[in-house]
Amino acid sequence: MVNRILCVAEKPSIAKAVANHLGGQARAENVRGIQWVKNYKFDYGFQAWGQASVTFTSVAGHIQNLDFHTRYRKWTACQPAELFEAPTQIYLANMYQDKKAIASNIEQQARYASILFIWTDCDREGEHIGSEVREIALKANPNMQVWRARFSNIERAHIIQAAGAPIRLDDAQVNAVSARIELDLRLGAAFTRMQTLALQGMLPQQDAKKVISYGSCQFPTLGFVVDRYLRVRNFVPEQFWYIKVAHEKDGINVKFTWKRGHLFDRMAVVIIFERCLLSKLAKVTKTTKKPTKKWRPLPLTTVELQKMGSRFLNMTSQEVMTTAEALYTKGWISYPRTETDQFDRGMDLRKLIERQQQDGRWGQFAQGLMNGSFNQPRNGSNNDKAHPPIHPVNYVAPTALNDSERKVYEFVVRRFLACCSEDAVGEATDVEIEYGGESFATHGLTVIARNYLDVYPYDKWESSQSLPRFSVGETFEPKEVNMDDGETSAPGYLTEPELIALMDANGIGTDATMAEHIAKIKEREYVIARPKGGAGSRAATAERGGARGRGRGRGRGGRGGAAAQNGGGAAGGMQEFIPTTLGIALIEGYNNVGFETSLSKPFLRKEMEVQMKDICEGRSTRNDVVQSNLEKYRSVFVRTTQQINVLKAAVRKYVVQPNQG
Amino acid sequence: MTNNPVAELTQHLNARHLHPTAAWLQSFVSTTRPNTPLPALKQTALFRLLSTDITTSLVPPPNTVFPIDVLNAKVASRTVTGPIVCQVLDIDDIGLSRWSQVEAIEAKERGESTKGREIVRVVENENEGAAVAPAIQSKGPFKLLLQDAKGVKVYGLDLGGMAGINTNMSMGVKILLRNVEVRRAVVMLESASVQVLGGKLDALDKAWREGRKERLAKAAGDAAR
Repeated sequence: MVNRILCVAEKPSIAKAVANHLGGQARAENVRGIQWVKNYKFDYGFQAWGQASVTFTSVAGHIQNLDFHTRYRKWTACQPAELFEAPTQIYLANMYQDKKAIASNIEQQARYASILFIWTDCDREGEHIGSEVREIALKANPNMQVWRARFSNIERAHIIQAAGAPIRLDDAQVNAVSARIELDLRLGAAFTRMQTLALQGMLPQQDAKKVISYGSCQFPTLGFVVDRYLRVRNFVPEQFWYIKVAHEKDGINVKFTWKRGHLFDRMAVVIIFERCLLSKLAKVTKTTKKPTKKWRPLPLTTVELQKMGSRFLNMTSQEVMTTAEALYTKGWISYPRTETDQFDRGMDLRKLIERQQQDGRWGQFAQGLMNGSFNQPRNGSNNDKAHPPIHPVNYVAPTALNDSERKVYEFVVRRFLACCSEDAVGEATDVEIEYGGESFATHGLTVIARNYLDVYPYDKWESSQSLPRFSVGETFEPKEVNMDDGETSAPGYLTEPELIALMDANGIGTDATMAEHIAKIKEREYVIARPKGGAGSRAATAERGGARGRGRGRGRGGRGGAAAQNGGGAAGGMQEFIPTTLGIALIEGYNNVGFETSLSKPFLRKEMEVQMKDICEGRSTRNDVVQSNLEKYRSVFVRTTQQINVLKAAVRKYVVQPNQG
Repeated sequence: MTNNPVAELTQHLNARHLHPTAAWLQSFVSTTRPNTPLPALKQTALFRLLSTDITTSLVPPPNTVFPIDVLNAKVASRTVTGPIVCQVLDIDDIGLSRWSQVEAIEAKERGESTKGREIVRVVENENEGAAVAPAIQSKGPFKLLLQDAKGVKVYGLDLGGMAGINTNMSMGVKILLRNVEVRRAVVMLESASVQVLGGKLDALDKAWREGRKERLAKAAGDAAR
């Protein structure tokens, strides 16, 4: 008897790509009630199960939705505090008719199949979506065997390899996501309702119906933006003084900088300056000439891709991720959600480089690597054990890509080639002098071999003017000595790469969700984004839409193009964030209720993120994590409701009074 | 038990270049129990004396105070032999902007500290002390306000850095200067010429600490162009 196997991917585009790799030109059948999901039918010989008749379909992100029982759903139905323990139930995400059609398609197909082979993305969320598929399928056909494919890109050989080596669904990861979902639901609903009910009436007329939403990642993200904004606003510039020494030797003018940088006391600098002048002669105390290197970059992670994207590609982190996702789905790059910055030794990197040889821009560089200058990439310190670093899988000509795809693809390729190249090599010269008891120094750099820099224009490393020869003990009378002054300047508003780095360092969100949290606080009108250095605050166009899919990125995979770009993205591209009055009021309000556990601080959420990992690695259970977090947040909730006037006072200070004045 | 504790104590303190007034010595001796062993008595006397305001507790011989014209800024450089006993009334970290020091104090008040980009909570735990190592001590340089036993106030600069001199030191701490260079009415403090004797002035120290943030913030405002 021929086995019937039901394969389910996370999104239609993956189903199509994988089905075509396995089945050649797979036959696409329509699914009743939902036109953009197809069932691909073909025959395939699996290593484990032999020749089989395959149906390859997909879901579109999460199918199930956790919500409170109906009687708790109305805002007026209960006290917000009850939501900490109100009973919940899993529903088919029935706000979309689509999800019902998807679920019934799986039920239908499961009846005829003996094996369920899950092809959702290999990360925590994907694992959970896989468990949702499993639940639906087993309900229809309890005798099914359930397997899962492990894959990290949509390249043919990789897919065929994954089809031949099925593994089990990892229930620890499923439980971690399930804990996250329950906490997000309870905390989000309880705090959102509580603060909306308390504060909504104070907002200006046009916002009278505004929901003041809370999310355990959104608030610390907003907190970072507000902290920086207040630092900029409160900043006091101060004058400082410093000493400059210049000397001419062998026809070269050399500038020496003061080791102390600058000091904030004029009298002190005047005294030191006088001592220098009186001492007449400067003496060379140290000269070094040594080989130096600029290290090639580490293999690419998601966080790094997002940071570089907003710094160099003139795109928001969310656009970068949407684009990378599209490139992945089309099979051009590997899975773009990864924390790993080390390539497995066994991976055939040369084969990947070989495919890039045909390009007009970096092809020659790739050839050079193939002809002997290849180096195994450096290893970073992170390995999520699920996905390799982001790298190009196949070559695609620029004409086959749209603008943003071209930019992201180019970056991924250049980064990858740079990783496989050699460090740039140079020679650094350092000269130190002692003058009036003070140290001054100068630095020179000669770049000897650019190596990886030739393919990676995002790093700058250039030769400086060459220095004349100095020898230790040599004395000279400096040609020029000056005392100068300057002024400290305020830091800039928080930029997107800085915000991502802060979220990353403080455990807010995962590499997969950061971009979404940032988009969320824009959408909620807690912050506005504008091009850095841009004058006038152009409000972000709020992206509203029902993207409640996966709790990350676009719930519906390949559908729906790139997100609307905020602020127009002027040249220079990087975005900076400024909080709205409501954004500041919320953060200051919660800070005033109590710093130790303020919702604006990253501490509580960071702990939760650590506990998710604990569940994944078997050190904790879903139930323990949910209960202990509910306890912690409940005490903040109680304190906040007791001191609700503190929150109201902040809203009055920033939102109500400025509007009246 | 010695017959003349006052003489013994005088000798002990003078050897450390401290010359207490007779009144101070008398009142000190009267507060001690008669059969206290002499070494303990000496130690206590030194400790107590270092905690006094030297402008009232010492009768300095002329060489242990600053020269009368020390504040004459026209003198580019001179060496003062000393040894001079003085107390520290104020200290400024002039390597950092005042505003950045205000920000650091505020972060500490919130119980926060940063480790690179990571924000960490610094929770004072009675049993274990600070859970996180304190921020790295600034290397200055520092500008100090010194006062001798006659009440003359002179600025001092610590450019090279030395143990015990930083913004965490106690105000009113006594230091001994020997062969110091004075440039334009400012004492150049070097580790070879400065000896920190210790002690503090409680009231001054408390007020200094409590008012520090406000003073820095105000000074930052004044320093703005």
